Amino acid sequence: MIERFASGFHPFVLPFMFGMVFVLGYCLYGLVHIYLQLERRERRQFLLSLITPATIWKNVRDIFLNCLIHVKLWKRNKVLGYMHSSIAFGWFMLIVLGHIECWVYMPHRMKLFYYPIFFNYFVSENEATVGGAIFFFLMDFFLLVVLSGIALAIIKRVRSQIFGMRRTTRPSFPDRIGLYSLWLIFPLRLLAEAFTADISGGSFLTVPMNHLFGRFLGDSMHLLPTWWAYSICLGIFMTVLPFTRYMHIPTEMLLIPMRNAGLKIIHARRGFAKAQVWSCPNCGVCIDACPMNVKKANIKDATVYLNRQIRRGNEKRIEEISDKCLLCGKCTELCQVGVDGPALRMAQRAMRDYAYVPDYKNVTAVGSISAAAGAAAGAISGAAALRSATTGAAVLEAASDSSTAASTKASTGGSVLYFAGCMTALTPAISRATESLLKKAGVNYEFMDREGGLCCGRPLLTAGRYDQAREIIKKNRALILASGADTLLLSCPICYRIFAEHYKLTGIRVVHHSVYFQELIAAGKLKISHSGERLVFHDPCELGRGCGIYEQPREALSSVGTVVEAAESRGKSICCGGSLGSLTLSFAQREPITKASLENLCAGSPDRIVTACPLCRSTFARYADRPVEDIAEVLDSAR
Amino acid sequence: MKENVVIIGGGIAGMEAAKQLLALGYCPILVEKEAQLGGHVAQWNRLFPDMTPASEVVDGIREGLGGANIFLDTEISFINKLKDGYSVMLSNGVNVVCRAVLLATGFHLFDARKKEEYGYGIYNQVITNRDLEHWFNGAPDERIGGRDLSKVGFVHCVGSRDVKAGNAQCSKVCCITAIKQAIELKEKFPEAEIYCFYMDLRLFGKKYEDFYIRAQRDYGIHFLRGRVSEVSEDISGCVCVKAEDTLSGKPVKITLDLLVLMAGMVSNPGVGQIASTISLGTDSDGFLKSRDNIYGIIESERRGIFYAGACTGTKTVPETLAEARSAALAIHNYLSSSGL
Repeated sequence: MIERFASGFHPFVLPFMFGMVFVLGYCLYGLVHIYLQLERRERRQFLLSLITPATIWKNVRDIFLNCLIHVKLWKRNKVLGYMHSSIAFGWFMLIVLGHIECWVYMPHRMKLFYYPIFFNYFVSENEATVGGAIFFFLMDFFLLVVLSGIALAIIKRVRSQIFGMRRTTRPSFPDRIGLYSLWLIFPLRLLAEAFTADISGGSFLTVPMNHLFGRFLGDSMHLLPTWWAYSICLGIFMTVLPFTRYMHIPTEMLLIPMRNAGLKIIHARRGFAKAQVWSCPNCGVCIDACPMNVKKANIKDATVYLNRQIRRGNEKRIEEISDKCLLCGKCTELCQVGVDGPALRMAQRAMRDYAYVPDYKNVTAVGSISAAAGAAAGAISGAAALRSATTGAAVLEAASDSSTAASTKASTGGSVLYFAGCMTALTPAISRATESLLKKAGVNYEFMDREGGLCCGRPLLTAGRYDQAREIIKKNRALILASGADTLLLSCPICYRIFAEHYKLTGIRVVHHSVYFQELIAAGKLKISHSGERLVFHDPCELGRGCGIYEQPREALSSVGTVVEAAESRGKSICCGGSLGSLTLSFAQREPITKASLENLCAGSPDRIVTACPLCRSTFARYADRPVEDIAEVLDSAR
Repeated sequence: MKENVVIIGGGIAGMEAAKQLLALGYCPILVEKEAQLGGHVAQWNRLFPDMTPASEVVDGIREGLGGANIFLDTEISFINKLKDGYSVMLSNGVNVVCRAVLLATGFHLFDARKKEEYGYGIYNQVITNRDLEHWFNGAPDERIGGRDLSKVGFVHCVGSRDVKAGNAQCSKVCCITAIKQAIELKEKFPEAEIYCFYMDLRLFGKKYEDFYIRAQRDYGIHFLRGRVSEVSEDISGCVCVKAEDTLSGKPVKITLDLLVLMAGMVSNPGVGQIASTISLGTDSDGFLKSRDNIYGIIESERRGIFYAGACTGTKTVPETLAEARSAALAIHNYLSSSGL
């Protein structure tokens, strides 16, 4: 293999060089920008993870599987997966092989940025060399792979249904430029290499094309213009890349190490959040995923549009989208990049200046919850007495501070502390069934909030009121630690998630009742008889996607009846529509969401709908045509 | 020969209309699905504002029903539209052809179990307004009787003005019923403290306001403005009520021996089938749709179909009786003009 030009340069590489330098410069700027926006603690955490062998391996694996192979898309739809991995992995292999080729034959040219990309133009080769033939074959092969992906991409633009996507985003103007230049790059490369194949050599694709073109074109005048066109398209693509959805390609390679380092979204626009927003490929998978999209409603409130509006800085829409979301997490579950839409929105809500800032400092932790409520009731009795002064008999009973405090403190028996939470307080049948099951299994337990308790803090957290949530967490935590229990049992997954994630209850096991009862059944402490009834389990967002608990509730239910699956379940479960996450969805707007979710649940014609969340249960019960029960009720009534 | 008029529903509306039609010279055919006449009112003990015994009202109307055809335990199988009238098939096999049908199908008492947070059907200390009236009527109820009540609560608007319970409408009678029942309970348990949890007090009727003032002044009943948020049961077997006193902006928690839920009026689901066979519309609140809500309340959008009472919306007893008379007159006018 010999070099054709002593200079190793031709002006047609300039558009490519311009684009390449621009995009690399931009990415470097972005990297430094995001890095500097991280808090000091986060920076240390991030850098440390980059030199930890376990995370290095995880980063490499994740980048390979997600950025190149797109495994998550394969799981979703084979054609969609093939389309993405053929383009990404094929292109990657073309670049890698081009560099190896250059390194093997023209090592002295490795320092030239463009040389491996336009290798075929600069070299001359006869086909007798075996080594070259292997490279030429591989290059042609991967070019064909990429071209097949591009062909699918063009078909997808016209008919997205084939790829399992009902709705997709409309590309913006820069997106279109990027899209069309991307489509052109590879056919032009094929043409350029085909025209050059008689000089540089080629393989099964380029050589026959060279012969074919030679037959009817008769000259080699087309050689240079196609190389120019190829370089220009590359240049355009890379120049517009920072302003298009394709920015997700470089950003995702930053997002993955950051996520593996354990970073969390703190500020809605800075640091890790910025990496999340720019990693969004605008594919629109989240539009179909969003439970709010029933009857084509709220389509513009999917996470993809949040990211788009954040990039554009449209504050009004950002606020609207952030407040409306149910925070069910399905978009994140299905997102191939894993953009954390709910966390972005919660952080956005935290940015708001509220006119009224509640203060919970007056709520005393030790001396029990009901004491606080009692104090409030005591305060009110004065006012009530005033109003009915004619009778002079109005004294509202303030729950006696001392007795309740004593009962909370007395529970030092290494036992189970049951916290029902506000939602279960509104559905007393669930706490009744839970207590009954605990008694049947002979569990030594204490009902922490029988007569009322503090909120777990999750509604404040989802509303972005972090400081107030922390205040409540602190008070509750002190109460729980003082109880001396070794297990904290929750019947509400909303509570369960915050207790598990934010409370740091060292030495205390935090467990959801569906898991706990499954264990009791497995250990033989609860005897349940099988009725043969058909049961469908609805995965509550907070329990399933939120905490990854899918199997235990089904296992527990299988001892009562036959568990049938909903059309979409587990990670794809559809929110009941009652979620506390949404701050602005009206009751009427939630109704179609609930009905659509019910329809999904009834696909297997179950006799009863079972869930493990008091909020899901009351939301469904409003419109369901068959009984909706909590898992505790089903287990309790089965024996 | 006397002309037939089918009246569906033997509550006070249907009975009163039958009585009036009888007096006007028609042959009313009163169809009642229960075993006795009088509907909801017959199950009540005394009526506001003068504590008139409900039985007195029902019996008074019944006396005027001498020659009417009354079918008890009977339902409507189907109604067919004829050229200038209707053919009504009853479940007992009787078929009646008539030119006018009066729907007096009434309302349905809201199922308080749907407001699970109030614990009806879960806690033994929670009853409804109807349960209390039954007890006043002498029916034994271990939830109320057999013990001394020292603290009792009334929750207004249970299933009324509550979009989440599926009913946006006000039931009109619960405010005054709660006051009436509170006074009656206070008379039976003079030592008891009684609390009423209300959103608004809608005391629009004759002497209602006097009733309210008497309840506070003479009976010492406490009125707390604020909805009850939840009810729980404590270890001693009492119910704990959590609410907010919105006048002072503070949360309230009270332990009670008995909690009475003022279940509201909702549309009668049983009327749906009849309505759909002769294509009668329903309003946004689920009740039957009148031709006009000001001057055509007792008329439907179909010729020959008339309404009386709570089938078109929540009504008090006097309103229902007035509508029944009005409907009888409208039927008379309709039959006499279209017949000739």
